[in-house]
Amino acid sequence: MKNEIRNLRNIGISAHIDSGKTTLTERILFYTNRIFAIHEVKGKDGVGATMDSMELERERGITITSAATHCEWKRHKINIIDTPGHVDFTIEVERALRVMDGAILILCSVGGVQSQSITVDRQIKRYEVPRIAFINKCDRSGADPYKVVGQLREKLSQNAVLMQIPIGLESKFEGVVDLVSMKALYFEGPSGEIIREDEIPDHLMDEALARREELLDAASMFSDDLMEAIFEEAVTEELIFDAVRKGTISRLLTPVFLGSAYKNIGVQLVLDAINRYLPDPAETPNIALDLDRDEEEITLEADPEKPMVAIAFKLEVTPYGQLTYLRVYQGAIKKGDGLVITRTGRKIKVGRLVRMHADQMEDLTFASAGDIVALFGVDCSSGDTFTDGKLNVSMSSMFVPEPVISITITPEDNKSQNNMSKALGRFTREDPTFRSHVDSESGETIISGMGELHLEVYVERMKREFKASVETGVPQVAYREAITCQAPFDYIHKKQTGGSGQFGRVGGFMEPSEEGEYEFINAIKGGAIPTEYIPAVDKGLQSCLTKGKLIGFPVLGMKITVNDGKSHSVDSSEMAFTQAAKGAFRQAYMKAKPVVLEPIMKVSVEGPSEFQGNVMGSINQRRGMIISNTEDGADSTIEAEVPLAEMFGYATALRSLTQGKAEFTMEFSKYAKLPESLSEELISNAKENSKGGGKS
Amino acid sequence: MKDFISVSPLKILEQTSRRGLGPGNLGVLIARAGVGKTACLIHIALDRIFRGEKLIHVSLEEGPEKVSAYYNVIYNDLLKALNHSDDDEYRMRIDRNRMILAYLNQSFELDRLEANLKNLAERLDFRPNTIIIDGLDFEKAGRDMLEGLRKTGRAFGADIWLSALSHRHITETNERGIPHPCAAIDDLLSIVIQLVPEPSGVFLRLLKDHDKPGDPNINVRLDPNTFLALD
Repeated sequence: MKNEIRNLRNIGISAHIDSGKTTLTERILFYTNRIFAIHEVKGKDGVGATMDSMELERERGITITSAATHCEWKRHKINIIDTPGHVDFTIEVERALRVMDGAILILCSVGGVQSQSITVDRQIKRYEVPRIAFINKCDRSGADPYKVVGQLREKLSQNAVLMQIPIGLESKFEGVVDLVSMKALYFEGPSGEIIREDEIPDHLMDEALARREELLDAASMFSDDLMEAIFEEAVTEELIFDAVRKGTISRLLTPVFLGSAYKNIGVQLVLDAINRYLPDPAETPNIALDLDRDEEEITLEADPEKPMVAIAFKLEVTPYGQLTYLRVYQGAIKKGDGLVITRTGRKIKVGRLVRMHADQMEDLTFASAGDIVALFGVDCSSGDTFTDGKLNVSMSSMFVPEPVISITITPEDNKSQNNMSKALGRFTREDPTFRSHVDSESGETIISGMGELHLEVYVERMKREFKASVETGVPQVAYREAITCQAPFDYIHKKQTGGSGQFGRVGGFMEPSEEGEYEFINAIKGGAIPTEYIPAVDKGLQSCLTKGKLIGFPVLGMKITVNDGKSHSVDSSEMAFTQAAKGAFRQAYMKAKPVVLEPIMKVSVEGPSEFQGNVMGSINQRRGMIISNTEDGADSTIEAEVPLAEMFGYATALRSLTQGKAEFTMEFSKYAKLPESLSEELISNAKENSKGGGKS
Repeated sequence: MKDFISVSPLKILEQTSRRGLGPGNLGVLIARAGVGKTACLIHIALDRIFRGEKLIHVSLEEGPEKVSAYYNVIYNDLLKALNHSDDDEYRMRIDRNRMILAYLNQSFELDRLEANLKNLAERLDFRPNTIIIDGLDFEKAGRDMLEGLRKTGRAFGADIWLSALSHRHITETNERGIPHPCAAIDDLLSIVIQLVPEPSGVFLRLLKDHDKPGDPNINVRLDPNTFLALD
């Protein structure tokens, strides 16, 4: 059993969009005999790559949801999660990394370390995932893997070291020199499946020796044996493998491999590297929180004999029903076992246990620690912890960013209405960054997410998978309100309508909170408000934060101090104090000079330097503030802060300004005050809407 | 930040004949590696920013994130030294009045800088009063580059401050007392300041003051950790 865990790898493939993740995965599946023909992402055969199983993904040539798949290479079992590259789908990348023990960071040898690679790298660091790098597309015009290694060091601060050097580049890219075996490797046969080993070409010998020297220098930092062997000139391949593995697992070294997945060059060596350098599940520490001991951290062991702990990291709807992807961290699951979902306490029985291969599956009877498997028909949410009931633990929660954009959706007919509800229920459980709610005033359904494309994809999926045709409204920014100065309140809630009345008085003041969060300070002395009613005051105040009085958006960053009050021995109650607190809030809020805040995005635009002026102009027009410009080779990267409200349709505008040669990414940065003129417009619109009975 | 100058290494400029560099002129800070050239340049930058002027920081070695982080460190040191609390207004002033231009992997060229300055002026109406250039290799740059920079400074009406790396093993100076790597081009420079590490702190010494040689009595002692003026 121990051997099985030692030979198991759970890896994620992360990269910038279009750097060839899906193409690489396709080759991996081909060489490991999981598929018998290679289909290109946007191939002429119209089949599409195997991992892009959703119709929409195939049509657009992008991977939307991550599909888990399993393969075997040289007696090692490898679970691969193919993850999307677009920033709007980052939650998928984060989820994949959460359950992975290692990652392959793919970089384009022309584009190098782009802004999205930096975002992905940040995520890899957050989840402490050891990684190897693969510089793809060495056959492309402008390929420069040496530059990319430099960028890995400079931009991502990684101790990146080349394990190979290219034989030729661009259209003359033929193969690689392996700096460990010091052999030239060529990939022959119709799909590059035959690896021919040869001597290093004379003209590359000096380069190869110099780069091997660099590799040995870097690797010897992790192994005294290798260091000694270098002095004694007795270096063996095993010593290098061992040292690079230690460096990689400790995340202090990033071995770099080269190739062209499209031209079938170098992929098998990446598979060797997965086996050789990335950790097995037993080498990766995983923490769970013991709910019986005040969430004390416990380390899980990849031991099939111990009590079972697993996490649901992805839900997916298939024609056969709902599929829940699980990563088992400790213990084992057998078909027929009873499991407990920690969050709800619900018990479920393991009916069908399967291992996924893109959209095909293989039935299993048993899965143990380290495995990635899927269950059928389990009602749970993404991120839920499963146990066998012997432990009451929860895996640490995943980082989930708040949505920044909303649109209204209206079903086109009755049938669509029903299907839309089903779709929304499904999507919100699948993707925590996708939310939906019905606006209580307008009665409209509103969906929120991480960007325009994110929402567009869900609207498309509603149409295609759930036959729900919907009309979408204009995208709406998630504005916030905040007060700017201190304001006092002293409010009495009094009602006498026969029987026992209602009485509560609440006094104090509200002020902006420096931490940007809601803070409630109980400064009551001498029991002016009895202790048992204090939570009711807090509750009443908090309930007012969900809808500010300016434009009806949530209120951010407020500190409220309650220092005075009065109660009545008969007429005071929790309800009376909740109402008094609400009244106090209403009384003080406008006096505290509230303002409207808008989300500001950190935008990064990369493209050829010749378009820099156009890009700067486009950002300036959008109320953006340019922070910096970085020139590197022929390209420049402009970093700016731009209000989200101005970014709608930017993809199209940028394409036309730069002949489609520039691209941009954005992520939420902060909330900032909306300019006065725009704020006034929003406030007057909100007033109009409320006058009109809330219908817009 | 009115009392900024009391702790800033810029105090030394107050004592120069024209109380500063002046538009279209070049000023250089010379020091060995790790003595504090970048920190002093950032002090010059913050002084300009807090006076409401526009500044461009050109970095030839580090990306914008690191440059920006360095500004934050020095800004926080200043707040501490002056006993000020952090203020959104100050931060906003830094963000609005500063532009970082990074040129990585030997991509710095005069034409490129000029094109970028032109874009900033035309597209964003951002016209710098001061340009700071950190990391220029004086040994490779040569006379043409410095002449070009002076011309650019004049064309855009900005003064330009540069850092120059000296070496422990090259101790010779020219007849005017200007050390390597500025000895052969000091006619193009209006102000030359050397940073000298000594046991009691880092000393700023004025070696050239426009058309006059530097006054050996003009020097400022800095804290070697924060690079703030001690006396």
